[in-house]
Amino acid sequence: MNERSRLAPEPMPRRDFLGLSAMTSALVALLFAGIGMMRLPKAAVLPSPSRRFRVQLPESLADGEAYVPPGRAVAFYRRGDTVYAMSTICTHLGCVVRPTASGFDCPCHGSRFGPDGAVLKGPAPKALPWLQVRAIGRNAYVVDEGRTVPSGTVVQA
Amino acid sequence: MSRGQGMAQFLDNLKAAPRRFAESAWRSGTPNTDRSRSSFVFGNVFLHLHPVRTHRWSLRWSTTWGLGIASVSAFLITLVTGVLLMFYYKPYPDVAYDAIKDIHFVVPTGRFIRNLHRWAGNIMAVSVLLHMARTFYTAAYRKPREFNWVVGMVLLVVTLGLAFTGYLLPWDQLAYWAITIGANIAQSPREVTDALGMTAVFDPGGLQKLLLLGSEDVGAEALIRFYLLHVMILPLVLVLLIAVHFWRIRKDGGLTRPEDADRRVGGPAGIHPSFTEAPQKTYHLAAVVRGRTAAVGRGPEGTVPAMPHLFYAEMAALMLTVFVCLLLSLLIDAPLKELANPSVPENPAKAPWYFLGLQELVSFSAFMGGIGIPAIVILGLALIPYLDRETTGTGEWFGGPGGGRLVAGSAVFGLAAVLLVETFAIRLGWIREWWLAAPQILITLVNPGTVLTLIYALYSIWLVRRHQSGRAGALGLFTCFLCGFVVLTIIGTWFRGPNWGFYWSRAHWPGH
Amino acid sequence: MRGTKHLLLWTSLGALLLLGWAAYAENFRQEWRLLQAAYRDRLPADRRAEFQAQLRQIVVPALNSVDRCVTCHLGMSPGDTALPGDRVFGPHPDVSHDPAQFGCTVCHGGQGRATVKADAHGDVRHWPEPMIPRRHAYAGCGACHTHLAIPETASLDRGRALFERHDCLACHRMEGRGGTLRPGGAGGMEGPDLTAAGARGYDRGWYPGHLAHPEEGRTGAGDGRAEAAGAAGSGARRWQASFAPLPAGDPQAIDIYLGSRVGAPGLVEAKALFHSIGCRGCHSIAGVGGDDGPDLTREGQRDPGQLGLTHATGGASPTGGAALTGWLADHFRAPARVVAGSAMPEIGLTDEQIDRLTFYMMSLRRSDYPEALWPKDRIRAERFGEREFATDGPTLYGTYCAACHGRQGEGMRFPGTTAFPAISNSDFLAIASDDFLRQTIRRGRPGRRMPAWGEKEGGLRPDEIDAVIAQVRRIGGGVVARPDPRPARWARGDSAAGARLYADACASCHGATGEGGEGPALHNRVLLEAAGDTYLFETIRRGRRGTSMAAFSDASPVRRTLEDEEIEAIVTHIRTWEVKR
Repeated sequence: MNERSRLAPEPMPRRDFLGLSAMTSALVALLFAGIGMMRLPKAAVLPSPSRRFRVQLPESLADGEAYVPPGRAVAFYRRGDTVYAMSTICTHLGCVVRPTASGFDCPCHGSRFGPDGAVLKGPAPKALPWLQVRAIGRNAYVVDEGRTVPSGTVVQA
Repeated sequence: MSRGQGMAQFLDNLKAAPRRFAESAWRSGTPNTDRSRSSFVFGNVFLHLHPVRTHRWSLRWSTTWGLGIASVSAFLITLVTGVLLMFYYKPYPDVAYDAIKDIHFVVPTGRFIRNLHRWAGNIMAVSVLLHMARTFYTAAYRKPREFNWVVGMVLLVVTLGLAFTGYLLPWDQLAYWAITIGANIAQSPREVTDALGMTAVFDPGGLQKLLLLGSEDVGAEALIRFYLLHVMILPLVLVLLIAVHFWRIRKDGGLTRPEDADRRVGGPAGIHPSFTEAPQKTYHLAAVVRGRTAAVGRGPEGTVPAMPHLFYAEMAALMLTVFVCLLLSLLIDAPLKELANPSVPENPAKAPWYFLGLQELVSFSAFMGGIGIPAIVILGLALIPYLDRETTGTGEWFGGPGGGRLVAGSAVFGLAAVLLVETFAIRLGWIREWWLAAPQILITLVNPGTVLTLIYALYSIWLVRRHQSGRAGALGLFTCFLCGFVVLTIIGTWFRGPNWGFYWSRAHWPGH
Repeated sequence: MRGTKHLLLWTSLGALLLLGWAAYAENFRQEWRLLQAAYRDRLPADRRAEFQAQLRQIVVPALNSVDRCVTCHLGMSPGDTALPGDRVFGPHPDVSHDPAQFGCTVCHGGQGRATVKADAHGDVRHWPEPMIPRRHAYAGCGACHTHLAIPETASLDRGRALFERHDCLACHRMEGRGGTLRPGGAGGMEGPDLTAAGARGYDRGWYPGHLAHPEEGRTGAGDGRAEAAGAAGSGARRWQASFAPLPAGDPQAIDIYLGSRVGAPGLVEAKALFHSIGCRGCHSIAGVGGDDGPDLTREGQRDPGQLGLTHATGGASPTGGAALTGWLADHFRAPARVVAGSAMPEIGLTDEQIDRLTFYMMSLRRSDYPEALWPKDRIRAERFGEREFATDGPTLYGTYCAACHGRQGEGMRFPGTTAFPAISNSDFLAIASDDFLRQTIRRGRPGRRMPAWGEKEGGLRPDEIDAVIAQVRRIGGGVVARPDPRPARWARGDSAAGARLYADACASCHGATGEGGEGPALHNRVLLEAAGDTYLFETIRRGRRGTSMAAFSDASPVRRTLEDEEIEAIVTHIRTWEVKR
């Protein structure tokens, strides 16, 4: 051991392989632990309820008139002998839009949509998505809120 | 030693125990000399963050207006009242609402404590913003305080985060829809990824929303997450950062003051021992730790002992905050609307007031208003100390080239610009109204929010060129943004009604 | 330094002052504390000492209710003394449900957890469940008792009139009236109180039994008062004299009336009115009824804050239950003035009727109590599918049809709507077979105002539809359809000629392609399927007396007369729409 004054700085070798690798592995291990912990808040399966449900359209539903099943955010329309459904969740920030005579109005930031869901006004970035509908007979349909279809897709009643 | 002696000794010790306990706890005796006061300060774990001596410049009210202490006082009030509220609060949908009702109506002093919590939270948000403005206008962010300014930025974000997460907890209509909007703002990067057609492979927005809500919509999962953020994660981060912030104030040499502060506070005549920048004698310890050192020299003395001068000032700021909180809590109850109803949005659905400026921007473009522009502003603010390397005007209100006149001019310009852009957007609408098929990316890039940001940026660049000074540009930009923020907040708070339509007053709102 | 010290001093003193005030307000100034102090002063001296000023509550875990109403309404608090006659501290009226067991909000609504009057009663903006106003207090029964087998108004009124005309009120008490007379002129109630006869049950055979055995008259009531039964024979004879045989049919009518007495005065009449003027033709309750208007299942629980009171005219208060009743009343008076764009017609109700309908609307509430706590009537309604109202022909017709087709089937016309057909028209009933009527009711007229009433759509069961058809024929004067010997499709006319004739004679009312206009739509899937050619043919030939549909076989100066072949051609033309479809 060399004699060294306490005031003289301790030499730090430029390439301290051992120290560098020890420090790096410690950091990597901690980082990995962090990533592992981040997996916990991201649920593997979401606790959301099933988004597919059955709906019975009223026979008197007129062409171009919206039918919103109670408690759902889906609007059904009949056109001739076809049926289609649209989500009524605003594509802007998730408020529930209201069907009106001319389409849909969003109460939160004033987006307006046409009867086919296309954006007419306001900040909404996209048209209201059309949803997959399957006819199961006698005015009954199964709609899946989780599956969108291209605008204009209808099913035969 | 006889038996009697031992007994007498014991009795004496017993008698002296209280005095000795006090001595052991405070160590230094009664703080009646400068020296004992100093040792009182650094011998106390809670006080040792303070300097031993404070410059009289720092004690002038107009130096800080006590805003930093007011912020931390408000935080302490929310901390105490928040813990008290946790005795009764249960973070589960519907049950939470009942719990708040219980606190409001039955728990002794419950309503008062809840009001205090809310008002202290509001005052904290205000004082943090004002504290930032003070720091900026006195150019206190300059070297060596750059890093503390950045820490302050993070503290601002955490404060707003605390306010936002607390907003959901009552689980009423107001809360539910504000959080739905907030969570969808977190998802709004999709506006860009959708436009680029890459959402399927890269979806940071969806991930953010998922992490925030733990589900696809606001429900029990979201409530417990917000609760955890509000009572555990964010307060811990805040306390940690406050500690760093305080420590840095000490290490960065206390509060900023102008070069000629000594002269301006009118120091006592004569030469006194003082701490100077140019050491005449250094300690050995200081020689080992290199850098700026504390050293004793002789010079004109502008400082006074922190105890009691600084403590009086701090206590006054604390009690003023307490007083204002108490007054507001007695006068105005914290709101509680009806129970959250996921199928009927509030109309209008408004966030807490300090977010209404953002909500105004969001009503033009979700991504730009909710994430893009705030991120640009926060980043820009954080960069200021690294771009402004000048020294003139440090420690003075509106210090720098142009000074107060430049700030006043910028305020006029900032107000005019924001009012013009808003009037235009409210009167004439925006791209979508003229060109239905406009691609979304165009609207995301060009909307009143971004246009305003651009106008302010160009104005500030013009100031930089005109005054040949980065500080001038920063002054202009900061003032403009402050004006924009205030105006947008006012519009969002008082002039927006159902369907986010513009109304001159609440009386004009349609019935339904 | 000095300034700072001053600031510290004054803010600290100020804070102390504020805290002192807060403590004083918390401990002495609270509304309920003041009320309890007032109550204590009015207590008899011997009870004053044991009275403790504190919050009181009735907790019913099963109902998930915590009702602190009794903190102020001390007369209703178990263990406290009631001050009779006092508005706040008085006792609860005698009801079948003990408030100490059921709590308060379960019936009265309001915010049970609140301890401030305005909040508790819901007279605050944004409080979703205000109290039901006192005037309509019995509407609260509707939260659980959904199944009151209520007949329509006419039968109810008849029963009540008979009950009064035959002097039943002399001996019996009914909803606080009557029961003051005893034979021989003595006062006091002789017979049992019949206020809740419908709910508690009564012996329907009592009256004929009594007539047959007059000497048992006084014990026949079932409660057998021994000391009364021991009275002299002359007493029994007096009894006999006071009973006369009722005319045929009257006892049945009185039974209907008594069956509806369930201890909720006013509510029954209100519900009966609702089921007499056809509200369910457009509005559904618990999934039964039309869907032209809004669902009314929870109408009484609507949040007054969401009503939009700007257009309500009748001085409605801005908050609380009174806001909702005021809004409802205004709405019944002129729907479109209160709800912009409402399609509901102005029905022309009297103020009394408006009040009754408002009452019934307030009773439309559904509370999510566990099924074990449901009353039997709600179980019957929701689990065994029994109706919430009587299912005789008149009531069914009154419930579903009367609003559009008129209470006597005379058809209706409201401003802004097309005319609704007169279905008691004898020309119509003579050619409309029961089967045609059944199909029409069951499947409706898609795309028109007439909804499908089949079990899956509107919720009418086959036997109920038959009862409605019987009622339609009854109000139509008992006209029975003539049997039709021909097959359903026999018209073989020239459809091109038919098209010309149609355009000439029919299109002005029925529309160029039968889409309907002033007259009904003919291009309608269900109509074309259900109607035989004879029906169409005869309708054109004979018309409908009393309506705009003329008899086209009759000579007329203003239009041409149609020959049988021409009518057949028109029928053939109308049939082409069916094929195309």
